[in-house]
Amino acid sequence: MTVSVGLSDEKIVENTRTGNKELFAVLVRRHQDALVRYARYLVHDEHKAHDVVQESFIKAYMNLNGFDTRKKFSSWIYRIVHNEAMNMVKKYRKEYPLVDAQELVSGEDLLGDLGRKETVRMVHTCLNDLPILYREPLVLFYLEEKSYEEISDIVRIPMGTVATRVNRARGMMKIVCKNKN
Amino acid sequence: MQKQKLTIADEVLEKIRSDRIAMRPRWHFIGGSILLIAGIAGSFTVSVFLVSLIVFSLRTHGPMGAVRWEQLVSTFPWWAIPVAVFGIYGGIALLKRYDFSYRKNFGTIILAVAVSVILSGYLINATGIDAWWAGRGPFDTLYRRYDGSGQGGGHGRGYMRGR
Repeated sequence: MTVSVGLSDEKIVENTRTGNKELFAVLVRRHQDALVRYARYLVHDEHKAHDVVQESFIKAYMNLNGFDTRKKFSSWIYRIVHNEAMNMVKKYRKEYPLVDAQELVSGEDLLGDLGRKETVRMVHTCLNDLPILYREPLVLFYLEEKSYEEISDIVRIPMGTVATRVNRARGMMKIVCKNKN
Repeated sequence: MQKQKLTIADEVLEKIRSDRIAMRPRWHFIGGSILLIAGIAGSFTVSVFLVSLIVFSLRTHGPMGAVRWEQLVSTFPWWAIPVAVFGIYGGIALLKRYDFSYRKNFGTIILAVAVSVILSGYLINATGIDAWWAGRGPFDTLYRRYDGSGQGGGHGRGYMRGR
């Protein structure tokens, strides 16, 4: 198992496919922390987040032969977790409003107003008050440090929409944080 | 947290070891892709053919166009439309879920396919390819049903039914 330390995710996938099935556990251990944190922001519950991630890894393993190793495994597994979390959100729809009245905030450009550090601090404080539609790209961009392209892959929306949602979410978060304080 | 960290990896590994979960074979994904491509190619070919047939039929009828149009509508294989739509949507739904290679703007693709089908059908008709193949092999019978020569000559629906 120690040999796998230097291997890329995609190389591990290839080795797992060719027979070393237990190597898959290395991938699970590599990504589970970040994925549970990401899922927790979506489903607001530690246990549900845990279930989502576990189910996602099971689905990933079952569909491993369908993964294109020229792509990033991390984006793929985030995509699966996104799907699983959204299924759970739909299942408990009343608990997780996808969009609420705060969506009506203006789409003005607020990128110049805040620095990245300040935004990250605000994300941690006020994130749970945002609707999922905006919370998710914000988490991926500021907390998981994914690029717009990766977010676009994970959430399956165009890059322009990712940028718009991140920008709007920042504006909404400013209002939410102000109200909180 | 540490307990959960171990649990996820260990539980997944335990399921793998006990064969409670297994990788879907490679052919499942290759086969799915091939079927989808074949389905799209087939739908495209059939659609181009039908568009060309419609244009051909309308062009050759003259004053009896309305009658021939009714005949065309009554003999058109309408069942093929839901089959094509369902097949393509089903194929995409099966394959796109965890596969980035299917991250495309499907609205644009469908629009592009529809436009290219109509354009191809029109070009086939404009260049006279349909007239050329109308007299050959299985196309001969089919085109006779739409070019007006079948009327009264036993080549209409009755002709086909009687065969």
